[in-house]
Parts: sequence; structure tokens; C-alpha cells
Amino acid sequence: MTTTDPRTTAGEPGGPGAAGDSGDASGLSVVALSQGQLVRRRFFRHRGALAGMAVLLFVIVLAFSSIGFAGIPGWWHYSFTQPTPIENGGRPTLDVVPWLDGDGLAWGDHPFGQDNIGVDYFALTMRGAQRSLIIAFMVGVVATIIGTLIGALAGYFRGWADSLLMRVTDVFITIPVIVIGAVLGRRFGALPIALFGAILGVLLWTSLARLVRGSFLSLREKEFVEAARAMGASSSRIIFKHILPNSLGVIIVAATLVIAVAILTESALSYLGLGVRAPETSLGLLISDYESAFTTRPWLFWWPGLFIVLIALSVNFIGDGLRDAFDPRQARVRS
Amino acid sequence: MVAFILRRLLISIGVFFVATFLMYVLVANAGDPLEDLYNISDPGDRAARIAARTQIMQLDTPVVVRYVHWLGDLLGYLWGAGSLGVNRAGQAVAPLLGLALSSTLRLVLLSTVLAIVTGVAVGIVSALRQYTSFDYTITFFSFVFYSLPIFWAAVLLKQFGAIAFNDWLGDPVVPLPVFVLLAALGGLFAVSLVGGRTWLLRGASFAGGFLAVAAVLLVLSQTDFLARPSLGPVGVSVLGLAAAVGITALVSGLAARRVLIASLAGAVVGIIIYVATLSVLVDATWPLLLGLFAITLVVAGGVGAGIGGIDRSRAVRAAVLSGAVVAGLGLVDWLMFAWPDYVANSFGRPIATIGSNTPNYTGNLWQTTLDSLTHIVLPSITLVLISFAQYTRYTRSSMLETMNQDYVRTARAKGLTERTVIMRHAFRNALIPVTTLVALDFAAVVGGAVITERIFGWKGMGALFIEGVYTVDPPPVMAFFVVSAAAVLLLNIVADIVYAYLDPRIRLS
Amino acid sequence: MSAATPAPGAPAAEAPVLQVENLTVAFPTEDGVVRAVRGMNYAVAPREVLGIVGESGSGKSVSSMAVMGLLPRSAQITGRILFRGEDVLSMSPRQQRGLRGRRVSMIFQDPMTAMNPVYTVGDQLAEAVRSHSAVPQKVALKRAKDMLDLVGIPQAEARLRAYPHEFSGGMRQRAMIAMAIINDPDVIIADEPTTALDVTVQAQVLDTLMSVKDAVDAAIVFITHDLGVIAQVADRVLVMYAGKPVEIGTTTEVFSKPLMPYTAGLLGSTPSAEGTRAGERLRPISGAPPSLISLPQGCPFGPRCPLVRDDCRASEPELRHRGATGAALAGVAAGAPLPVVSPNHLAACHHSDELLAAADATRFFRAESEVTS
Repeated sequence: MTTTDPRTTAGEPGGPGAAGDSGDASGLSVVALSQGQLVRRRFFRHRGALAGMAVLLFVIVLAFSSIGFAGIPGWWHYSFTQPTPIENGGRPTLDVVPWLDGDGLAWGDHPFGQDNIGVDYFALTMRGAQRSLIIAFMVGVVATIIGTLIGALAGYFRGWADSLLMRVTDVFITIPVIVIGAVLGRRFGALPIALFGAILGVLLWTSLARLVRGSFLSLREKEFVEAARAMGASSSRIIFKHILPNSLGVIIVAATLVIAVAILTESALSYLGLGVRAPETSLGLLISDYESAFTTRPWLFWWPGLFIVLIALSVNFIGDGLRDAFDPRQARVRS
Repeated sequence: MVAFILRRLLISIGVFFVATFLMYVLVANAGDPLEDLYNISDPGDRAARIAARTQIMQLDTPVVVRYVHWLGDLLGYLWGAGSLGVNRAGQAVAPLLGLALSSTLRLVLLSTVLAIVTGVAVGIVSALRQYTSFDYTITFFSFVFYSLPIFWAAVLLKQFGAIAFNDWLGDPVVPLPVFVLLAALGGLFAVSLVGGRTWLLRGASFAGGFLAVAAVLLVLSQTDFLARPSLGPVGVSVLGLAAAVGITALVSGLAARRVLIASLAGAVVGIIIYVATLSVLVDATWPLLLGLFAITLVVAGGVGAGIGGIDRSRAVRAAVLSGAVVAGLGLVDWLMFAWPDYVANSFGRPIATIGSNTPNYTGNLWQTTLDSLTHIVLPSITLVLISFAQYTRYTRSSMLETMNQDYVRTARAKGLTERTVIMRHAFRNALIPVTTLVALDFAAVVGGAVITERIFGWKGMGALFIEGVYTVDPPPVMAFFVVSAAAVLLLNIVADIVYAYLDPRIRLS
Repeated sequence: MSAATPAPGAPAAEAPVLQVENLTVAFPTEDGVVRAVRGMNYAVAPREVLGIVGESGSGKSVSSMAVMGLLPRSAQITGRILFRGEDVLSMSPRQQRGLRGRRVSMIFQDPMTAMNPVYTVGDQLAEAVRSHSAVPQKVALKRAKDMLDLVGIPQAEARLRAYPHEFSGGMRQRAMIAMAIINDPDVIIADEPTTALDVTVQAQVLDTLMSVKDAVDAAIVFITHDLGVIAQVADRVLVMYAGKPVEIGTTTEVFSKPLMPYTAGLLGSTPSAEGTRAGERLRPISGAPPSLISLPQGCPFGPRCPLVRDDCRASEPELRHRGATGAALAGVAAGAPLPVVSPNHLAACHHSDELLAAADATRFFRAESEVTS
């Protein structure tokens, strides 16, 4: 109570009635912000999420603009398939540390070095990042659609749909994601990567469905849903017009976290040789290909790993920021 | 309670059959099991090999029939006389599983327990120090660990935790910059842990942490501790008594004199038993050690009950914990004693990178234990890194939510000490949701073990699984899956029971 | 200032057990500093019942949390809280803890969440005993049983072993009362103790509270927004608005002659115990309480007040004795009897005299509500 008391006066988001009285221009200044404004404000105050957002955007722009995408050429002058003569043992020319035998910030000819046959490793890493991002995005889209749909049905109609979902979840809990992913990857890994991503998405919807279900279970008992039902709204109208917009926070946060899991799952599967196959590439596959070169050409191992961590970390931070932004209980009182 | 467990057991068995069926069908359709044979140039040989494999793998019967056959094999195996099917080379799977089972379970269970203990502890402290530098640091590293590709982390650990560390052990000198850095980190850690509000307090805790780390490092390097580590009776006694004081601080607060005395007495019981058995434990066996451990706990508990007075239950708890800590210290001391020989045996490279044991290694109990430990340390660190983050994040948010509950406010209003409020009222309630995470996380650890075992060259169940998936050979994959699914389901039931134990509200339903 | 100084509005007969002087509480938040309490003053005599009334967010709970020392660390507290003449805020944490639950105890609003779900009721009651005196568990449990008997819980012996979820709401609140009196306190702070309960059990729980109060000789600070409850239990009443007391006096005085329009408004929006007169509606106060981050200039109630004038917008009135002047004297001239305001009846309003002169103070709000409806 003590901590919520001051906040009730600061305008509870969506508190019924709170907004109605404040229009009075007589010196009452109950700040009534819309849900969207509040979310945006809280998100932009989360420094980790902002940094994550910046890093992720940077990686996406870098990966797609450098080597080009879908026939559109990029600005990087080396290809990720054609070897060039190996210079300086293929060592990276990127130099950012001026005080350690370097010349200060320098991009160089092959910033990430070259692999053992002379392919530019920056181009290769960018290609891998591109592929991994596409797969993660596909997983996110497919898992979110399936998870939201099933979670919404189970949470709203309960009954058999709900028990079916819970039993399916029970089954999926016993199967580690990597395990079923490996089995599916063995079968579908050679497919075009977007399709492979979609298939992985079919695996990763369960956690999302459970969260959406929980959200629907509690929202369906709320007064505004009762009201809509009393006015004779159809089930589909109640689901899409009344409950879904209120579950959006849960869905967005869960979808973000699914994408982070997808990046890691894809790279692990590709590392095991049970995901993306040559001639296609991905960050996980690059690490797998060059793992044995760790002692002689460590950079072949470092760069793709660094990019996986960078992507997963920034997505996780964005997810954390979104959760804080959508969950008003976590509003912080600075000490 | 019995009805509750039985019901959960029945549901789990149902889930088990559905999951195995799903898995079997998926694996059988994961590719073409004859793929590698199509390239044989001699048509006669090719036809013969294809026919042979088709016969072994029963490829001419429908998948469902093959699954039923496999189920029969599984039930036979559980009965004690089955093979668990044969792999495509015609070998029975059961003996292969037997070898892999113990090493993998050891790895997975150790990692899970370590992750729970460290994750929950750090999560609690992080919540109690919300919005401090400690909290921010832990949060940041949790995210980093959570975002690490496990295979990448494993390769790095292998490189730096084993190869580079072994090199360094050959000439264990801490360079001055590293020395200063470590000590400074110790200082910063102390500052964030104490969470002082004034600069004086911060300065003092930094100096304390700095000097403590510096002193430990100095002693380690000056006494050749890394080459010949030892606690000795003095070390065990000092550390044991200090632990007894710490345990009292947690259990009842140091103001409770009787609990403090009981706790110290429990430690003394442990020390006496440790000293008395110094001459006989060189050729210890596990039953003997377990027996000694039990005796220590019982005697310490009895002494605690005698001293406790009006605080009997807390006194017993503190005394038993102190006794257990001293027993653990004794164990560590014995392992340290065996260390120099073990290092010599491993040609100066004790931290292993391949396998779960040194092949054909013989030695007394201490040496074989050390051998297992040096093999398991890096793979389990890898697995702990991943789930540690889950436990800290989850415990932290659970603890924060609990600390905001009305009953915590009531507990404060009663005039309880902050220690009692946290340990008795907040902590136990915060643990309730964490139990459900254990079962969920365990599956992830099993999945991670598949990858870790591969990088560290363990002939465990992970290898069985991956080999089976590559060759589209269901029985080895299913052998792996039966064990992992059964373990997950069992852990789920245990988690439910623990949940019911922690939360009386669901005991009856 | 010493403990002997008579506090404003205090019946000076006996030294007060609890005195709050110029208490302010502020919370820094993302949106700015929330000034939840802006100068609280009251004194409670032994065995007295002081009612504190106000809307949610008026600072009534926050000020009592400050008395209990239960505010979060981020709260900025100034002023003095004197328990038997000793300043609680300057005590060591250990001394404060010795007071909490022992000399000053608290009953909370929601009995469903105020007890720890994982321990038995007996454990939680015994814990309150053992945290203040070194007695064995058995003795503490015996005391817990006696207290459950006292608050009228049947089969107390068996109920000790029950968990909170096995109790009904009313029983839980009785158990909370038992917990509050178990150490024989001098002051009980009851924060909306009946609000969350079923209407049918509210009266029983209230009766229980009043009877055990006599049994342990404690004073009660009774916080509520329900004037009907105040009328039943309180000797004196303090009305709070926007973090400050705006009127204080004996219950009879304040109820019969409110000197602050806000009080009058509250009385007008409450169904009276005698039943509302035929054809008369309840009259709500229009508008919403002001934001405690940026208060309006002048009287904080001004924007909602039917009597508002320019001087109200210029300066915030202080809490003091408001005698009959101006319009009221004009009433005297017209032959009306002179209303006598007791010296301990204080109000914070520039225009108390208009209320004083009016036959029915609540009519100011009636006029407005008729306009809006």
C-alpha cells in the first residue's frame, strides 16, 4: 500500500474514471496518459533496452547493406563466396586499439580477416548474420501467430481446447528444444532458410501459448468483457476487439524472447550439423566449420560467436525493457 | 498426498507414451536411413547391404508397428531382460546406454543442483540490493550468460579453462597487473555486497575486499598452495567455526546466544570426528564416508537439542548445518591431499578436456573422485552458466514481488528483525514459483548436455542421440529420450510435491 | 518543544501516548516528488479513539505507516513522532523495532493478504510474542490461544493449527486483531480494518475491536473513509485532504458543525445513520483530489469547493480555531442563536464562518449537485 499510494494519484494507466474528471481546467492536474504513451515512456527510460535497440538496428543494417540482399548489391567490395589471395596469413586488419602496436582506428582491407582459402571473413560473417536474422525473424512470426491463436482459444473457450493445449505443453516440456530441433533439422535443414525458420517456429510456440492463455484467462473475467458479452458481441469480436489488444503486451514481450531463443537454437543446431547446411551458411555453421582452427586462426571462431551474442543480448535487453514498460507493477521508485 | 502422487504418476505415464510415440515417428522420418548406401558402386553389394539394413531396421513394416515393437523392447528392458532394440549395425542398445547413462546423469544433476543453489542465492541478494551496482552487474551478466551460445562458451572454456590454465599451473605466478586487478575486483565486490550508503563505508568495504583478496593471493603464491593444497586440522577448524558463526547469523541472528553456542558445538563435533578419523580414511569407501557423515549430523543435532533451550528447533538446525559444513571441509581437505599425486599422474595437466574419466585409471577413492571432478568441472560450468541466468532472473523477480506483499509488511509491523522478515517470511514464499522452473529448466540442461558432451568428448547419452539422428536410427535416439523424458517427468512430480510442501494452500486439492 | 506541550486539538487532561508533529512524507518518483503528507499534527490520549478520515491518496495511510516505521527507504520523512514523549524518528532501528508490534501495533485493511499463507495462524501469532520476549514456543502458543478466545474465534485451540486460507475473511481479521493486541500495546493503528469485509461481518469485527481495546487499555487510531464507522467508534475525528489535516475536533462537534466545506461535503455524501430524508439524494463532491506532485495554488480543496473565493486561490488556510465572525455575527444580529465553537475544534478554511452560519452546512453541495443533475 505504501508504495502504491503515491502512484494512484499520479494516474493509474487505464484506471476507469480517472481520465474523465481531469479535463476540468480548474487547477486539477491528474496526469492521464494513454496506455501507449505510458509504455513508450517507460521503454525509453530503460537504458539497457535502448542500447539493445541501437545495437540490433546497427547489426541488421550492417548485415543487409554491406553485402547486399536479394540481388541488390551492397557497399562491401568482397564477395562471401569468391576467395582472394591470402594476405598476412588472413589476419584481421581491423584495428581499434591504438595503444597496442596499432595505428589507431583502422578498417583495413579485410577487417575480420580471411578464412583458410582466402574468402573475406567480414563478408562471410555478414552473410551468416543475415541468414540467422532471417531464420530468427521467421521463427518469431510463426511462433507468435500459432502461439497467440492457440493460447487465445484455450484461454477464452477453456474446456477441451484448454486441456488439449495443456496436454500438448506437457508433452513438449519433456522434449528438449535442441532434441526435437535436431530431429527436424536433420529432415528440413537443407530447405530454403526462411522455410526452415518457419518449421522451427512450429516448435517454439508453446511457451508463448501458455503466456497468452494465462493473460486471456484473467482478462475474460474482467468487467469490460462482461459488458461486451451483455451487449451481445460475438466471441470473435470479444477476442479480437476487447481481449487481444489488452494482451498485446504479453504477446510482444513473449515474441521478443522467442526470437532470442530462436537465434541460439538455430546456431546450436547448425553447429551440430543438424541445421542450416552448406552451401547456405549461418553464424552457427561458421563456428562449426572453423572450430578446429581455433589455435591457428582464432578470429574465424571469434567473429561469428560475437555476432550471435550481440544479437541475442540486444534482443533479450529489448524484451526486458518491453516487459518493464508493459508491466506497471514494476514502476520504480528511485531511491 | 498418496492419491495426488498417484494421479500425477498416471498422467506422466500417459504423457510419456505420447511423447515417445511422437519422437519415434519424427526420428524415423528424419531422413533416409539408407542414404549412405546408394553410393556403393557395386550393384550386387549395394542391393545386399540395403536388404540387410532394411531387415535389421524393419524398414518394410510401418512406423507404428516398429514403434510397438520398440515399446515391447522397452518394457522387456524395464523388466530386466531386454535389449532396448538394436541399432542399425545390429548391436543391442541397452549395453551402450548403460555406459552412457551414469556419466550423463552425473553431469546433468550436478549442473542442475549447482545452478539452483548459486542462481537462487544470487537472485535473492540481487533482489535485496535492488538498483545497486551489485544488482546491475548481476543483471547484466545474467543477460550475457543467457545470450551465450552454449557451444561457443564450451569451446572458450576448453581453451582458457583447461588448456591455458594447465599451462599456467606449470608455473603458477600471478603477474602484478592481474594481481592488482583481482584484488580491485574483490574490493568492488565487497562494496556492492555491503551496499554502504556513505563514502566512508564504501571506502572501508573496498579496502576490506581488496586486502582480503590480496592476502589470499599472497598466501596462495608464497606457500606453494596450488601445487600442494591443504587445509589441515587448523584450516578445517578455523573455517568450520567461522562457518558456524555465519550459519547462526542466517538462522537466528547472532543475538541468540544459545543458537550460536549450539552452532559452534555442531562444528566442534564435526572437527572431532574429522581429526579422529584422520588415520583411517586414506582407504575410505563411500559407505564409510556416508556413515561418518550421518553420525556427524546426528551427534551435532543431539548436541544442538541439548543446548538449544527455548530456541531448540533453530539450535538443532544451526548445529546440523555447521556439522555438515565441517564434514564438507574435511572432504575438501582429503581431496587436496590427493591432488599432488593426481597432478603428477596426469603429467601436470590436471584439468581434462576429453571424456568423463581418464581411461583405465586406478587409484584410491580420493584419486578417482578427483579424476571425475577434473573431467566434469568444465562441462558443468558450461551448463551452469546457461541456467544460472534463468534462476537468478526468476528468483530475483519472485523475491521482489514477495517483498511487496502485505504479509511481509505485517511481519515488519510485528516488530520482527529484518533477517527474520527476509529469511522466514519472504524467502520461503519466493521459492514457491521457483520450483516450477526447476522442471522446465531441467529439459534445457539435458539439451545443453547433448552439445557439451560433444565438445568435451564424452561418450555419454548425447553422443548416442546425435549419432542416432545422423543415421536416422530410432533405437539409440529413443534410448536417450526415454531417460531424459523419464527424468524430466519425475522431476516434475518432485517439483509438484515440493510445491505442495512449500505452499499449504494446495495441499488438499 | 517538549512532550509536555499540548498538541493542537488534544484534550489536555492526560499526557498523550502518541503525538505527531509537523510530519511530512515525500516520495521521489519518475514523475516528480509526491508530497504524500504535508504537515500532519495530532495527539492521541490514552484509551482514546481518534478517527482519521479522508479520500484515498489523502495521506492518511502514509502518515500511519510513518508512525509504524513501515515506509520504504526511498520515503523522505521530516517532523517528529513522539511515543510517550520520545521521538521515534531519532531512535535506533533496534529501538524502533522494539516499539513496533509491542507498544504500537497495526491492523491492516485486507485480511486476505495480510497473513503469510505458508505458516499456521498459531505460528504467526506466537512469532509476534517471541519477537519481543524470550519465552518458549509453548508459552507463546498458549498466549495466542487466549487471544483468539478473546476476539471470539471458536475452538481456538484447534484454530491455532489452521492456515490463513482455512479462515473466512471475518475470522482472519479477528486473528489480525488478536495479533495486534497480543503484546498488550498502548496504541493500535487500524487502517481501514473493515473496508475489505462483507457488510454483514463489518459490525461484528468492529464490536470485537472496541471490546478488546477496553480489555488491553489501548488507544486506537482508526483510519477510514467511512464516516458512518467514525460516528460509531471515534471520540475525536481528524479530516485529511491532500496530505494535511483540514479539520479536527470531537466527533459530535465535527459532525454537527463542520467548519470546512470538504467535511461538509463528506457528510453530505454519506447516508446518515437515521436514514436519508425522503426525496433527498446523496450529494457527491464533484471533481477529483489534486495531484500531490503539483498542488494548485492556495487552498488545495479550492477547485472543488462551492464556497471558493479569491482569497482561497491566493493563500492556503492554516489549521486553527475558527470563531464566529462576519456573516455569522450578522446572523446573531438577525436574532439567531450564536453557535459556540469549542476551543479544540480546529479547521483550515478561510470561510468557516459561512458554514457556521448556515443551518445545514451540506446544502452548499446540494445546490451544486442540483445544477449538475
